[in-house]
Amino acid sequence: MRDLSVPNSAADEPIVAVTNLSRRFGAKKALNDVTLAVSRGCVFGLVGENGAGKSTLIKHLLGLWRAEAGSVNVFGLDPVSEPTAVLSRIGYLSEQPDLPGWMRVAELLRYTQAFYPRWDTTYAEQLLGQFSLDVGARINTLSKGQRARLGLIAAEAHRPDLLILDEPSSGLDPIVRRDILEAIIRTVTDEGRTVIFSSHLLDEVERVSDHVAMLHQGTLKLCAPLEEIKARHRRVSLRFEAPRTEPPEVAGAIRVDGAGREWTVISDARRTFAPAAAQHLGAVIVEDTEASLDEIFVAHAGY
Amino acid sequence: MTTIRLNPLSGTPLYLQLVEHLKHSIETGAIRAGEQLPSVRKMAEDLVINPNTVVRAYRDLEREEILELRHGSGVFVRESVSARIDLMKKAGPIMRSAVDRLESLDLGEDDIRRLMENELALRRTARQTRKRRA
Repeated sequence: MRDLSVPNSAADEPIVAVTNLSRRFGAKKALNDVTLAVSRGCVFGLVGENGAGKSTLIKHLLGLWRAEAGSVNVFGLDPVSEPTAVLSRIGYLSEQPDLPGWMRVAELLRYTQAFYPRWDTTYAEQLLGQFSLDVGARINTLSKGQRARLGLIAAEAHRPDLLILDEPSSGLDPIVRRDILEAIIRTVTDEGRTVIFSSHLLDEVERVSDHVAMLHQGTLKLCAPLEEIKARHRRVSLRFEAPRTEPPEVAGAIRVDGAGREWTVISDARRTFAPAAAQHLGAVIVEDTEASLDEIFVAHAGY
Repeated sequence: MTTIRLNPLSGTPLYLQLVEHLKHSIETGAIRAGEQLPSVRKMAEDLVINPNTVVRAYRDLEREEILELRHGSGVFVRESVSARIDLMKKAGPIMRSAVDRLESLDLGEDDIRRLMENELALRRTARQTRKRRA
């Protein structure tokens, strides 16, 4: 079913290649020299707080914005100069799906289908059934969750080579969030398809991602396989005999929190050996565990 | 299989949670020797986790000789796990008597758990230190 004859899509070539991309909005640097690549068949999780530049990056991938500096390639093409070739292979769902409220569900799907030669009617119907969406309902009468599900069908039913979800779970109940995560998994288990999704829900990111990129104030702080990010960080809790006024200095520490006798260090696992650090400081290790994604990101954001 | 609950926030990596769950299911007989497990794809979709996480768990269990990955035909629980189940059956009474003795000292559930984890952590650190020195 997959069209393997498409040019510029050799299996090992990245689906998305962003090189030294920068973008300003007035005085604000929305994206600052961002370079990253997304390889075929992976789930790429994009995290960062509101205003970190996630949506700005995604809009460049969709060709909605032209690169001010640097370059953006999707399927080896420039999405601004070749929008049809790029967009026909992308499924996109945003936080607030922009669906025409006056249309009925069936009308919207017929309308969307017209843009995509590869639209899979059977699959769309199967999802409609699974989501209990009434094809005769007007979109403006649908709940937020049902609207998100409809947006998901519109994004997914042409079996895109690249599914892009921008904060898809925002403000949705757990059942709809699960539907969205299931769509992500379905897409990658369907040989060779790729997913990019942004989220501030780190448990979701951890659950489904292969690769995680973290943006902070427009700058890429981390971009690596999830497993590597997890393996690279430790969370070490130390207890001191006497209260300290200054945070302890631990080699490889990225962030140190605490007060008095109890201090917690998020550290670079390659540079920190907790027993040696504790011995050196005259402290006792209360805990030495893998850090959660949440802790890792807060540490790198440097709040 | 549908009862597996994985929690990304628990601090234990997801693949390990899956490994532990499958081991537990095999040890308790909920999954039998020789039985076929769901494919990577099915398991990933059912649990809503990245398929590579399932691959990693299956590979781990293959390395521990609990599962057998037969190319093209699926994932099976090895017949040899019966021996492991016997071992776990032997471990049961040892654990029971240890906990009995701790309880006789008026220690509660949390205390016992902490003692157990402490002991394991101490041994882990000792091993790490030895490895670093070697």
